[in-house]
Amino acid sequence: MASYSRRILPCFWKTTKLLTFEDAARRVPCRYHQELLPTRNYLLPETVEEHRKSELSKHPELPPSITSENVPADFRFVYPEFLPDPQYDRRDSIRERLEREDMYRRRAVIDIPEFYVGSIMAVTVSDQYSPNKENRFVGICIDRGGVGLRAFFILRNVVDGQGIEIMYEMYNPTLLSIQVLKLEKRVDDKLYYLRDAPQEHSTFPFDMDPIPVPKGSTVPVNKMKVQLNPRPWLERWERQDLQGVEDLKLEQRFYDKAAKVAKPWEKYDLMKWYRENTNEDERDSIMQEVHQRKRLTDIEKSKRKTKLVERKR
Amino acid sequence: MAAPRIGNVLCRISNCNFTSVLLEKINNSRSWTCLQQIRHRQAFPPAAWYVKQKTTDLDENLTKENEEFLDDVMKDVYKKRLDRVFSPLEDGPWKRNDYNKYTRRTGVLAIKIGVVPQWTKEGKRFTTTMLQIIDNHVIRYTPPEKFMKSAGWKPWWGNKYGVAVVGALSTNPRIYTKEYNNLFMESGVPPKKKLTRFLITENAAVQPGTPLNVMHYRVGDVVDCSAKTIDHGFQGVVKRWGMKGMPKSHGVTKTHRRMGTTAGGKFKGGIWKGKKMPGLMGNRWRTARGLKIWRVNTKYNVLYVTGQNVPGNTHGFVRVMDTKLPLRKPAPENPPPMPTWYPEDATEPIEEEYFDKDLFQFTEESVKFAAEKK
Repeated sequence: MASYSRRILPCFWKTTKLLTFEDAARRVPCRYHQELLPTRNYLLPETVEEHRKSELSKHPELPPSITSENVPADFRFVYPEFLPDPQYDRRDSIRERLEREDMYRRRAVIDIPEFYVGSIMAVTVSDQYSPNKENRFVGICIDRGGVGLRAFFILRNVVDGQGIEIMYEMYNPTLLSIQVLKLEKRVDDKLYYLRDAPQEHSTFPFDMDPIPVPKGSTVPVNKMKVQLNPRPWLERWERQDLQGVEDLKLEQRFYDKAAKVAKPWEKYDLMKWYRENTNEDERDSIMQEVHQRKRLTDIEKSKRKTKLVERKR
Repeated sequence: MAAPRIGNVLCRISNCNFTSVLLEKINNSRSWTCLQQIRHRQAFPPAAWYVKQKTTDLDENLTKENEEFLDDVMKDVYKKRLDRVFSPLEDGPWKRNDYNKYTRRTGVLAIKIGVVPQWTKEGKRFTTTMLQIIDNHVIRYTPPEKFMKSAGWKPWWGNKYGVAVVGALSTNPRIYTKEYNNLFMESGVPPKKKLTRFLITENAAVQPGTPLNVMHYRVGDVVDCSAKTIDHGFQGVVKRWGMKGMPKSHGVTKTHRRMGTTAGGKFKGGIWKGKKMPGLMGNRWRTARGLKIWRVNTKYNVLYVTGQNVPGNTHGFVRVMDTKLPLRKPAPENPPPMPTWYPEDATEPIEEEYFDKDLFQFTEESVKFAAEKK
């Protein structure tokens, strides 16, 4: 084995012993440490925003923020998919802007009406495997969610004694039409308990006539309480705070266990609420933009209708 | 009774941070107890070409007016260079060569903005990653002969490739060291937050100072995206290697997410090299190959690229390059802009968005399937 001279190197920190090359190689001076080992390998959203506005380079002109629209108070419940994903790390203003642009374009082509969980809707979809290349389904909306182009809703109905649920993506181009047959709200946010309820509560005829709702009126709330089937259930409904369900008539041990597992402090948890919702100012500015685009789209559509009517004459 | 004091300490032994508890008055003696170690990667001495970026002697005693004045001066200096036109006093614009099948062009340093679903004209859904190109300039070009003599050259590259150093996100030079700022003298651009290099063939030489934007790529091109993966830190064997662990009950004692046995081999005893064990997971360079560009937004400089598996977090840097996959490279019959796209190349006015021919555009009517002909 060849011998090597042990070089004495300058030490960057106070020690009593002299270091060899191997010792020094293992430790890196403090002035390099922070740069070579950054705490994160991505940028913070604020940093990216700063660079998008910096005067050291040219940037595209952003459309001016809209403040002049008269947005009704409950507008954000009609268009909840326009509100951004509350998870801060995943947010980006340019991506959200471009996604919203796509959503406006789609809404200019197809009419996506106002609906809530509990409304009965009819959806027609292009289906290449059906005889007339279309497929119509009627059902009650049991869930609605998703952000941006991923927005979805689930319709439930009972066909030939078989309960069927279909999840539709609102901005899917194969969706030909969405029609709200009965516009109403229910007392709960999600109606998954209908799976454990008698089938009559989920059955709606496919040839149901639409029930018109006068424009400007408040959305009716259906406060009906559903009696669930006897256990076993798909979920532990006694552990969920369901308003639209009649007394479950269970033994006390179930309610005791539910109380043990319950988190009653969550309704007082401000930070949790803060993290699950968007900032009010941001929400308002987005709704202003949505309202303006909706107004312009409606004007366009009415112009097209009048043109058609004139042609027919 | 012991009165614990809790604090963060840089351990002198292992050079790592950990929360520690100093317990006093236990048997009239003091002792440090380690509660939790946060293990980081080892920092190796930097490469020979490394230049320290952030300055340590930033003058923080300036008045607000003086700071604003300095910022104004800086902006003035660089504003004049924003609309860079190659003046005849400089060495003039470089020659633009043709693309052939051995050409390697520069790449681009983009930022991953997020993931968004798109649909094809047949109604099929797929996910796309959005990559934004903010403030890219070529900082330096080194021809192959010079590159071969420099630090950072590997012998298996031979004399085929030169180097283009590309930077993203212009920043105020005050916060950077003199040596780092001097890197940008040749190109005349403001110092960049992040630099990367691309190996390019000689015929794809780009002049320093050239801005790179989204028009460097066209819709339908196939790219490779490489980035540092999400840093999961020190992870156990179940998350890191997907091992199954042991049952949670049925008599299993103190072993639920462990590795189990380490070795086993008649002809070689002991643990084999490369044995899957707990350790630092993520924060490695990985390349997603063969990603097609479906859509380009020229206003915001955004690329829509197939897949949701571009490595890294949102707002992470991504190196975007032409594919090396031989069947998906740009064909010489349909050459990409060489060495990059310049505004004078535009024969017709540039549209705000370009779409792939198979991509469903939301301004179109809904997708309908034609009835079968009998």
